[in-house]
Amino acid sequence: MATQAADLGARLAGIKDAEVIKSFCYTCPWQCPTEVFVRDGKVVYHKGNPESPNNIGSRCAKGMASWYVTQDPDRLKFPLLRTNPKGEPGQFRRATWDEALDFIAGKLNDIKEKYGPEAVAFTCHHDPNTHFYWHLLKDLYGSPNMYAHTSGCEQDRRSACLTMFGHVFPMHDFANSRYVMLWGMNNLGANQGLWESRALIDAKKKGCKLVVIDPNFTETAQKADEWIPVNPGSDGALALAMCRVIIEADLFDRDFVNQHCSGFDGFRDHLREKGYTPEWAEPITGVSAETITRVAREFATTKPAMSAMFKGSGYYTNGADAGRACYILDAITGEVDKPGNINLKDWAPLGAAVDIPEDAMATPSKDPLHVAMGYPLAPDLPNSRLPDAVIDGNPYPVKGLFVQSTNPVMSDPNRDRVQEMFKHLELAVTCELFMSETALESDVVLPETSFYEQAEIRQGMWIGAEVVLCQPAVAPVGESKPPYEIVKMLAGKMGWGQHFPYEKWEDWGELMMRDVPMSLDELKSKGFWADRVRYNRVPDGLPTPSGKVEIHSQAYADAGHDPYPVYSERSVIPDNDYPLQVTHSKFSMHCNIVTQNNPFLMEICGENWVEINSRDAALYGIQNDTYVMVESPKDKIRILAKVVEGLVPGCVSIRHGHGFGHWAMGNVAKGKGAHSNNLMDTHTSPITGANCYNECKVRVYPASS
Amino acid sequence: MQHGFYFDHQRCVKCHACEIACKTWNEVDVGPRWREVVKIESGTYPDVQAMNVSMACMHCGDAPCRNACPVSAITKRAEDGIVVVDPNKCIGCGFCAWACPFNAPQLSASAGKMEKCNFCQTPGKERPLDMPRACEEICPTGAIRSGPMTELAKLNREEAAARLGGMAVQGFPALMVQAQQQFGPGGGDD
Repeated sequence: MATQAADLGARLAGIKDAEVIKSFCYTCPWQCPTEVFVRDGKVVYHKGNPESPNNIGSRCAKGMASWYVTQDPDRLKFPLLRTNPKGEPGQFRRATWDEALDFIAGKLNDIKEKYGPEAVAFTCHHDPNTHFYWHLLKDLYGSPNMYAHTSGCEQDRRSACLTMFGHVFPMHDFANSRYVMLWGMNNLGANQGLWESRALIDAKKKGCKLVVIDPNFTETAQKADEWIPVNPGSDGALALAMCRVIIEADLFDRDFVNQHCSGFDGFRDHLREKGYTPEWAEPITGVSAETITRVAREFATTKPAMSAMFKGSGYYTNGADAGRACYILDAITGEVDKPGNINLKDWAPLGAAVDIPEDAMATPSKDPLHVAMGYPLAPDLPNSRLPDAVIDGNPYPVKGLFVQSTNPVMSDPNRDRVQEMFKHLELAVTCELFMSETALESDVVLPETSFYEQAEIRQGMWIGAEVVLCQPAVAPVGESKPPYEIVKMLAGKMGWGQHFPYEKWEDWGELMMRDVPMSLDELKSKGFWADRVRYNRVPDGLPTPSGKVEIHSQAYADAGHDPYPVYSERSVIPDNDYPLQVTHSKFSMHCNIVTQNNPFLMEICGENWVEINSRDAALYGIQNDTYVMVESPKDKIRILAKVVEGLVPGCVSIRHGHGFGHWAMGNVAKGKGAHSNNLMDTHTSPITGANCYNECKVRVYPASS
Repeated sequence: MQHGFYFDHQRCVKCHACEIACKTWNEVDVGPRWREVVKIESGTYPDVQAMNVSMACMHCGDAPCRNACPVSAITKRAEDGIVVVDPNKCIGCGFCAWACPFNAPQLSASAGKMEKCNFCQTPGKERPLDMPRACEEICPTGAIRSGPMTELAKLNREEAAARLGGMAVQGFPALMVQAQQQFGPGGGDD
């Protein structure tokens, strides 16, 4: 039978008479190591790197179709400067790199003089070589406001894990688990770490029980032994009730909580004082007290076990404590960082790409925005509040914005407010592959190279410490440039050129690899470096204030929040006029806002839709596969409806509402499906600053035509 | 020796990577879909089930498409049982598509010809049979396997043995499409 072998790439390349280049895919932030086959300057095939533990030779649809980006006719080819007033859809003229960068450098100097360096902010989703921009704008220019995309993603999970474990992004050791309980997490549908997908399926084959807690019957729920349809935004109540069951039944790990956790006794008293019981949780969650008790007992008595959440349990104003409660289940049962648990993975010892001397570093004079805005626990910018800074100067003025590989006009809630924000910026720079909807609002658009055309060295997303390498496989499209070249040129114009002395990418590559036990040359031939998988780091002490797993969160207490998780109702509750709660789900073959111009992916799914339970569909006269209006108090959209069984009645699930309905991106993407983010008003998690996309109520009715 | 596919629906997560890998290796344009993943849902809330199936040409024993073709453009290779279409003979009439119970033959609007899964034997791109097919190679969860039918039958037996031994969770048996049983002689392992 056919088997995977390490030399497979070479044999395939032989068939295609091609050169094999070890690289990684950056269609999504999981960066699967790849082999790219190139002949006559073109990508003729590509596949997973079979030696990499990260994706064990495999890929997802998004990654496999990504080669098209190297020949997409809609790619940006030249720098562009706006020619018409802000507030109108941008009209642009071709500019030279010198012109565009002179313009940016001039504006940066003006803004610093008038408002201070903190008035320039940087945001990205994917962060391809983003650290180069940060070295320039933070270390040298002096803005503390270098941010990414987390508030639109797993901000509540990240905040929970940072405050409890001191870890930004625990992995999942499914391979060794006997009981996996996932909250608002659809890793099989989203194709996150492909090694995780394989490990979860393999574990299930070996008898591991999978429980999925989600209002949606997701791809992961399909594979579950038990799908627990929970009312939207009530995960925190469910998790707290489970904690209570485990503690009162004496099923917790006494040694672990005594030795390695802070605040267990206080937490037990807190649960009792608040009256968090299965009977209390039943009407809130829609899950029977009997089920809550049974699942809690199963979880506590089956080992190794894992309770883990992703973004679905967030997206509500109560998501932060839902996240903490979900991970306290791991803590009280002693299931942290052992085989089969959530894994506090090590990071590779990657160095900085440039060596800026201490005395050249700028010292920010103001707090970063998230602190100044009142969200000290936010692990990333509360970007639903960025318009307040730009439009109203609250907490202080932001006048310049760099947007790289993200598209806030489409991805942030309340599109009106985000578009309004761009009118008030003195400098908006978008670094992109396409004329995105955000680029359309910008003053300058810089064409970046795709991951097929540039080098990058970064942390891998495997369970062990890992470094992954991306190498240029084909020539850049048009005059597009990689970030490290753009930053070097811009730094030169601002008088900091000496800090970016590299001539070729290998020069900074050597610097980044200096502490990794592998040479750059070996990395180039192998494509990745991976350490062994490690466990049991809790007894060594964690980077939390107490050094322990913090059930009692000192960081929460210091920020004026309850140190123990509490359940509060979400903010937007359906009523007679708007009877349905909005939830969101994604497509497996699309990544956020970046894949809709790919004709191969659009062939599989070329339009997004809203899902509604058959009971609600009957109530509101909705037929399957017809167009409906989805109307909130703020806006309405026309969108295809799918009548389904796998969804909690009383809510709708808008699939990929932020990534469809493009009006700028490219000829394949434009006008397909409906963009739904203007249905929402601005709701921000009061603790973590997360965007609360699900704080939205709607009514649904048949579209007239 | 008849070669074929083994598909384990318990592993398939409907990510569609197999479809794109197929298109990329065999240089299939937008339009024809040699492989397609479909989801079959059943039940009523909250007792719902779903099963994913990745479908391509089954390389049937007594292939109905071959029998329906008026110009003998479709042949079954003697050495490995792979059903292939000769684009030089195909007149694009679509009879094969009507005859096929799996919707495997795809009419390319641009070429005006039928095309379908050829087990990665696209001219100039012939993958040796000891290597994985493009779909198989790319699958994140290992849901697709290819090989001689006798070897694939062993996989099915291993799955069944595991279930008998209480190793696996309840559910459907893994699906192995044994086309020769459905479509008569000529598709065996001989």
